Amino acid sequence: MTEATDLAERAGDRDPRVGLRAVAALRLLLERLEAVQVRSAREQGWSWQEIADVLGVSRQAAHKKHGRQ
Amino acid sequence: MFERFTEGARGVVTGAVGHSERMAADSVTEEHMLLALLDQEGTRTSFAFAALGIRDRRPAVEQSLADARRHGGLSKADADALAGIGIDVDRIVSKVEEAHGEGAMRAGGTAGRPRRWWSGHRGLTPGAKGVLERSLRIAVGRGDRHIGDEHILLALAARPGVVSEVLSDHGATYTTLERTMFGDPGTLPATG
Repeated sequence: MTEATDLAERAGDRDPRVGLRAVAALRLLLERLEAVQVRSAREQGWSWQEIADVLGVSRQAAHKKHGRQ
Repeated sequence: MFERFTEGARGVVTGAVGHSERMAADSVTEEHMLLALLDQEGTRTSFAFAALGIRDRRPAVEQSLADARRHGGLSKADADALAGIGIDVDRIVSKVEEAHGEGAMRAGGTAGRPRRWWSGHRGLTPGAKGVLERSLRIAVGRGDRHIGDEHILLALAARPGVVSEVLSDHGATYTTLERTMFGDPGTLPATG
């Protein structure tokens, strides 16, 4: 059994590590999903501005983060 | 810093590049370094792998690494943590693969920006580069004059992530590895 499972089972303790660990994992998941979706949008001919508008970030930020794809 | 790397340590990096090429990855990752370490024979790390029973369980180790790769670099512990807040990673990966093809979430292509850094052909991800830097700090912390494959393995075990979790799931934590390879508790892993 992994450490996180042990921690999750003790969630009733309101151990901050449980919640923080989930947030960290969620961030990683978010990054992967964003990469998949941005790549897909680029392949379908979306501009960086269009992608940035939907993501709610600046065009520069979107391009800087994903521009190598 | 490479002049301080032993032949074994250089072999790990060369081997990792080879694994990266064979897997058609676009950069060299910590996973490739672990596979290269598992290939070695007659070294301190291969002795530790044998002693901890990991050598015999290599297929299981490789399967764990492949699963994590398919899940976009999320480890089993990550998936468990997300399950704890009601997020089913398997389900998300399946949905994404339905829409974008099998392996769409696979880590490696965009997870870290590879740099043309060690070999002229294939860059190390920032994570892989971090392992080499940490192996140097571990060697220095132990008072060892050279950086060997054993320091690279300790660095892999010390860095939070898929590789250290897979190692830990198979009984190889920083502490057990250090004890097996050096026979003493030594110093704590350097942070950062």
